[in-house]
Amino acid sequence: MTDPKPRTDADFGRTLADFSVPSEPGNERLAMETVAKTAQGFGFSGENLERLKTAVAEATMNAMEHGNNYSPELPVELQVLATDYDFLVRITDRGSGPPPTDAGDTPDIEAKLEGLQKSRGWGLFLIKSMVDEMNVTGDEGHHTVELVVHLGAEGGK
Amino acid sequence: MEVRHLSVEVRLEGDIAVLDLTGEINGFAEEALSAAYAEAEAMDPSTVLLNFEKVDYINSTGIALIVGLLAKARASRRGLLACNLSEHYVEIFNITRLSDFMSVFPDEKTAVGETSGA
Repeated sequence: MTDPKPRTDADFGRTLADFSVPSEPGNERLAMETVAKTAQGFGFSGENLERLKTAVAEATMNAMEHGNNYSPELPVELQVLATDYDFLVRITDRGSGPPPTDAGDTPDIEAKLEGLQKSRGWGLFLIKSMVDEMNVTGDEGHHTVELVVHLGAEGGK
Repeated sequence: MEVRHLSVEVRLEGDIAVLDLTGEINGFAEEALSAAYAEAEAMDPSTVLLNFEKVDYINSTGIALIVGLLAKARASRRGLLACNLSEHYVEIFNITRLSDFMSVFPDEKTAVGETSGA
């Protein structure tokens, strides 16, 4: 899903965390655990927390790999925000060109087992499965993936 | 954050080769996982059981590695099973449909018992 009009901080409630990680393999876990601590403080727990962690890790890994080509000097920036209705994580890389959206095949395990699809390509699928919304925006020097969890009675998807 | 590289112990339980996985299943795990699976295949078991008891993180690259093992197992008509996955990773095996092609058991005893017909 692509949102053509990037939203600004003013559209959101408060910023809960704002940090960056260098684009080095494995740093998605650092991003994941940092967001998880913030989310726990906000009331996430159990499976809702695990789903958010997986979405953040996969989106950060995509940003480091596809946006920043795993260049350690290029950071991936993460912002955690909340409104009365949503918990949001915005993950920004320094990529150029079209933002990553639905490009490529939807992963099909049967096709992968038959060698008709490469075995990788699960990241976006997992992200979309783990959160309520995934919005992608981009300009000439950045891509931002926004993960949204609606704050319902159960505190998330 | 320090990456917990995957280590794998291979053992034979009857006709089942059990791979005890410890650490993270991510892009760093490819070599260890492939070597362990080759070691298991050399035992010529009917079934290979992946024991995830000491795995605390699997990412999309790790899912791809498991799909690769599943393709190898199917090619050699060997069963591939999983046990001791956390609730979250059982969900991920379900949504990726990995669990349609490899049975997921709550623990090793159940996996071995049901596979051996005990």
